[in-house]
Amino acid sequence: MRRIVITGMGGICALGHNASDIWQAMTEGRSGIAPLQHFDSSLMRGSPVGAEIADFEPLAFIDEARLPFLDPLAQYALVAANEAIQQAGLEFRNERAARTAVVVGTGSAGEETRDGLYRKLYAEKSGRFHPLGIVRIMSSAPCSQISMAHGITGPTFTVASACASSNHAFAQAAMMIRAGLVDTAVVGGTEACITPGVMQAWEAMRVLAPDTCRPFSSGRRGLVIGEGAAMFVLETLEGAQARGATILAELAGVGMSADAGDIAAPSDVGAAAAIQAALNDAGMQPAEIDYINAHGTGTVANDSTETRAIHNVFGEHAHRLAVTSTKPMHGHAIGAAGALEMIAVIGALRHGIVPPTLNYVAPDPACDLDYVPNEARAMTVRAALSNSFAFGGLNAVVAVRKAS
Amino acid sequence: MSNVQQEVSEIISKQAKIDISTIKVESTLKDLGIASLDAIEVIFDIEEHFNITLPNEDVNFESGTVGDLTAAVERLLAQKSADS
Repeated sequence: MRRIVITGMGGICALGHNASDIWQAMTEGRSGIAPLQHFDSSLMRGSPVGAEIADFEPLAFIDEARLPFLDPLAQYALVAANEAIQQAGLEFRNERAARTAVVVGTGSAGEETRDGLYRKLYAEKSGRFHPLGIVRIMSSAPCSQISMAHGITGPTFTVASACASSNHAFAQAAMMIRAGLVDTAVVGGTEACITPGVMQAWEAMRVLAPDTCRPFSSGRRGLVIGEGAAMFVLETLEGAQARGATILAELAGVGMSADAGDIAAPSDVGAAAAIQAALNDAGMQPAEIDYINAHGTGTVANDSTETRAIHNVFGEHAHRLAVTSTKPMHGHAIGAAGALEMIAVIGALRHGIVPPTLNYVAPDPACDLDYVPNEARAMTVRAALSNSFAFGGLNAVVAVRKAS
Repeated sequence: MSNVQQEVSEIISKQAKIDISTIKVESTLKDLGIASLDAIEVIFDIEEHFNITLPNEDVNFESGTVGDLTAAVERLLAQKSADS
């Protein structure tokens, strides 16, 4: 089977506008969570918080001619993809262009554009819409824009599975490379849904924390929405070695499952099935894993269910794992979650530092693993898992190994 | 039984499709087998019916009882009539 390596990484979120700034913030345990700034949130209960991107000047990253076509959803995706592709040192000419895929996970669509148009229609009673509404809103805009900007002509599409979208995207890209359909893929996730309509809908589900995100801790009160994108270049080990590329990590396996249960409540059985499937696909024993970047949303249900799933798969080894959620730093970026969290996983593998679980106040008996509370830890990480478990019971886990 | 409690019970009974006689003042939504999004829908129906906004503090799906919920609704209705 063809082995797959990661040779480029890019990102943007509340922690920074490139992957190295994001990683630096993760090791320092900085949080991007703050009171909402993007819009007037006075119709929401209390004083809502989010992990918003600040001080972002799109023209510093994106051509003036291209920008009018882009909702922030595609802007973030393009910023991250440009960085990843530049780091990989690839240009997409001739056969390379046709044998490269672009797969982007996203949970929603161009929400800022959508919200703006609907405000015009319902509040201002105006039917004169900007003509670029559709091409900004469509959930496939980010992958189209990446393919157009870089001349990539292979299989290009969006994957949507709510909070697991990024990890499902990694799986699709990996399977296409293994199947020999392509040799290279630009893959990741993007989300830009901190808009009045979407946030009001989240609040109505009563899953948003009124204070902050404190995964696995007693006193946790829910999730905090984030935004951003992270993109990666995947290629075959053989191809990367042949061109002398720097290998950041090996994408060793993917595992997917569906709970076939509740539309919102998570299932430890479904989560464990995806974790086990990722280990099986990677040909790894549980004891080979040192770190899990957990889904760890900070809801009462997710964190205890995820803990049980880890116990079910890892048995005795569960207590030797470092299990952290980086969501208190970058927020829950829904369709971009797994991609942003891959920055943490790659950093842990490369630099021997596990980012902490911030805002941890005290143990919860239902969450009894080592969550590396509040401060990063220096430790060797040989291999790691990244968990994503979505509403609707859609689970996807990626297994990543240190570059050898 | 107060009118508010009667109306709250009717909403729960309708949403959860359970006999209203099984709903006691000390029942929690959990006791009544109402979990996850069903519980959140019950709260939403109560908010719509009384035109009030129940803060998260008044909504405890694990241990909050029909009596607690009724008390929260009565408090918010009293506030609303005091404000108007």
